[in-house]
Amino acid sequence: MSDMALKQEDVREEPPANLWRDAWYRLKQNRMALTSLVIILALAFIAVFGPWLTPYDFLSQDLIARNQPPAWAHPFGTDELGRDVLSRVIYGTRTAFIVAISVTAVATLIGIVLGAFAGYFGGLLDRFVMWFTDMTMSVPQLLLVVVINASLKPPLARWMEAQYLETLNPIYRNSIIIDFVLVFGSMALITWPPYARLVRAQVLSVRNRPYVTAARALGLSTPVIIARYIVPNALGPLIVAVSAGLGTAMVLESAFSFLGIGVNPPMPSWGNMIADGLRVWRNYPHLLLAPAMMLAVATVAFSFLGDGLNDALNPRGQK
Amino acid sequence: MARKNGQELLLDVRDLAIEVVTRNGPARIVDGISLTVEKGETLGVVGESGCGKSLTMLSLLGLLPNKISVIGGSATFKGRDLLAMSHKELRKVRGGEIGFVFQDPMTSLNPVVRIGQQVMEPLLYHRNMGRAEARKRAGELLKLVGIPGAEERLDNYPHELSGGMRQRVMIAIGLACDPALLIADEPTTALDVTIQAQIVDIVKELRAKLGMSIVWITHDLALIAGLVDRVVVLYAGSVVEDAPVDELYENPAHPYTRGLLASIPRLKDEGAEKLSSIGGTPPEPGRRPAGCPFAPRCPIARAECERAVPALEPVKGEGAHRVACFAAGEIAEAVA
Amino acid sequence: MLRYILIRLAIWIPSVLLIVLGVYALAFYGTGDPIKLIFLRAPGDVAYDPVRIEAIRESAGLNRPFIVQFGNYLWNVLHGDFGNSLLSGRSVWSMISAAAPVSFQLGVLAILLAAVTAIPLGMIAGLKQNTRLDYAILGSALFFWSIPAYVAGPVLMVLLLVVLPSSSVPYGWGGVFDLRIILPLIVLSFQPIALTVRQTRAAVIEVLSEDFVRTARAKGVPEIMVALRHILRPVLTPIVTQLGLIMIMLVNGAIFVELVFGLPGLGRLTVSALLNSDYPLILAITIIGSFLVMASNLLVDVLYPLLDPRATHMRRAQ
Repeated sequence: MSDMALKQEDVREEPPANLWRDAWYRLKQNRMALTSLVIILALAFIAVFGPWLTPYDFLSQDLIARNQPPAWAHPFGTDELGRDVLSRVIYGTRTAFIVAISVTAVATLIGIVLGAFAGYFGGLLDRFVMWFTDMTMSVPQLLLVVVINASLKPPLARWMEAQYLETLNPIYRNSIIIDFVLVFGSMALITWPPYARLVRAQVLSVRNRPYVTAARALGLSTPVIIARYIVPNALGPLIVAVSAGLGTAMVLESAFSFLGIGVNPPMPSWGNMIADGLRVWRNYPHLLLAPAMMLAVATVAFSFLGDGLNDALNPRGQK
Repeated sequence: MARKNGQELLLDVRDLAIEVVTRNGPARIVDGISLTVEKGETLGVVGESGCGKSLTMLSLLGLLPNKISVIGGSATFKGRDLLAMSHKELRKVRGGEIGFVFQDPMTSLNPVVRIGQQVMEPLLYHRNMGRAEARKRAGELLKLVGIPGAEERLDNYPHELSGGMRQRVMIAIGLACDPALLIADEPTTALDVTIQAQIVDIVKELRAKLGMSIVWITHDLALIAGLVDRVVVLYAGSVVEDAPVDELYENPAHPYTRGLLASIPRLKDEGAEKLSSIGGTPPEPGRRPAGCPFAPRCPIARAECERAVPALEPVKGEGAHRVACFAAGEIAEAVA
Repeated sequence: MLRYILIRLAIWIPSVLLIVLGVYALAFYGTGDPIKLIFLRAPGDVAYDPVRIEAIRESAGLNRPFIVQFGNYLWNVLHGDFGNSLLSGRSVWSMISAAAPVSFQLGVLAILLAAVTAIPLGMIAGLKQNTRLDYAILGSALFFWSIPAYVAGPVLMVLLLVVLPSSSVPYGWGGVFDLRIILPLIVLSFQPIALTVRQTRAAVIEVLSEDFVRTARAKGVPEIMVALRHILRPVLTPIVTQLGLIMIMLVNGAIFVELVFGLPGLGRLTVSALLNSDYPLILAITIIGSFLVMASNLLVDVLYPLLDPRATHMRRAQ
């Protein structure tokens, strides 16, 4: 190429070469995704510092000020027991984040292990894992959770009771633990398949690429190959999946709490607050609207962030 | 400028400029191309991929992909400027007065629509034929392009035909409404060598029968030698040479054309000359040098070539053979 | 074609059986003693009388090995006998067949609503890619996608409170031609519509870049016919393959929509079965729900070659 052409090239703004910088650049262009990120960070802040932010204790009842409409003293009003709805919504944020993060972590872990094994070793193992994955995906999730919940709750309760009788440790009498374990467990058991599929697909696509074959020919060990080639490649799609998965887990938690099989009262969860509000919605709509709006804002924010991340990290996907 | 050998000009493209919008701003892909097609003439348009030959032809019918658009020039077809036409007028020209045959018959036919329907469509929309009449005509068209068992093929899907047969279907579609001009965009590139020759033969045969003008886009100078009357050579979005086919083969005036010809294997040459290729690659759009676009690859480039763009001018005063090269006169002398 | 269907069936039947087995095993080993469960609710102290329990167990065949009992259950299920509800003592099948029509009618209407709204919207978004209209459609789809039914339903009802006196806000079931069906129908369709809009848009964008669309335009086919014949037709194939996913959404969604709007369908039956630990009912509903999803997948497999003539003898590409 002539000098002239080179000079022209110098003038040109150099596009960002780094994948992550590139992705961040694209994400910044997406106003919806950026707004969502800010909302999610704000919610996360509320979740972490909730106990210091709430104007009232989420359990403290004020039987004189029951079913108050929103006012300065109680911005979101009070519920039928005179509890401050704002404080309960804030605690609900905490519940939502705790469940969403733990469930997504467990599900991602299951997915990564199964998917990586299936993809790396292939053959019969791969077939079996994928068949199992497809199968899990074709049972309507809620029904599966209902079955798991109905089936595992009694034995878990029996086991806890036995432990209590043996150790007399009151922690085994805490029913909230059973709730959380069951909710986490059954939710993780139904949300892992997308991660497994994704990881497997990534492993498969990377495994047979020439540069990986070359690395293997050079005598690089399997862990090194996985760390250097497979993980970086799978990271982008995995981040997208996890951000969408956090939203899904949040919805599931509130869904189960709404149905009365998740986080049980008096622990506040947006789901059980909606269920409570639904009983009196004709007279006290604010009891329904406050948690419903919070949940809606959170899930919409996660969706738009996931979508933006997808566009940013998988630029080939959009056009 | 345009020659008029007593013949009427069917298509007259002048100073056509096409830009693509990239992340780094707009870039010229086609930079002032002018070319003409006479009635009944077959024009070969030759150049490497990316030189703008396909886009030039697509732009005439308003078929440019997203982010690529015409920014200047005119294209007069039968006295009307195609580039200034309304969408509705242009639609009447497409497939009605100008037929198009695309490169890859595997992807250019809709895989989920029956062949018959695809051949009938131009007839339905331009000739206002009823379905029965259009179907009958479609059968005749398939027979015309030499598809065995033409009538039964109407109910086939494209994947049930071979590549060569599919390209014949494409030609039948292009010729369905007896267009004045058939534009064939590398119609043989995706096909086997033996099939390529068959397609060229069938087009020759049809030209003799129907008398339409043809623009045949290709990067293969050898293939079209016996087919075209005149050749326009494009390089990096500009016309570098325009000559009657025999003149071009015998006295190529542009170093790029000479390079192209030298890269064709010939049986006649007694093996003295080695097959050569042109070093380097064409400049990307938007990164064209300021002077002659071919200068960076040109074996005989000199200082002035990097400063100014040579104009397309007649060689040795002859009207028919034109070239855009400062050194053209010297090459012609050297050859002679 | 027949061979193709038989092959699909040969893969399909074991999968269905395995799901039934899995669900049955969970209930069998998880729930504890079914006899005790029955008599815990009955008056008297039968549940704590080991001799009588053993006798009843013997007579009901409940002390036989798991696999025999499963075979028995399967055999009964094939004959439409899912056992009796622990709560009401009525046959599970009669309870389900009483509730199913409500959910079924709602589901079919939701699919139709999704098809007639989402496919045109997705087409428009795809054809007008990266315009304001596209962003508006895509953004709304994502928005409605993320709003859970138990949020959308109540919020819509509360919004109606603003314009209607509280007594006339719709609640309950009055059949397909009753106005009260509108709200639950809309809420139930949110997710299927959102999914289909996004799928359609993506498919349209992919098809738009195909050479054959350019061919159609080069033929002078009017844009509307290009869209209807050359773009819509290939786009339908990937949309139809989503039927299984949509079925999952409908089964999940029915639970919330029926609960929120007080509809006497399978969804509400599920919730009451769950809250009362009515295992035979839970088992039956789960099996039927999974069966519906699997059946939609099979239907897609069978329909696929009709939609895509290239795939007649090929396996459906994932």
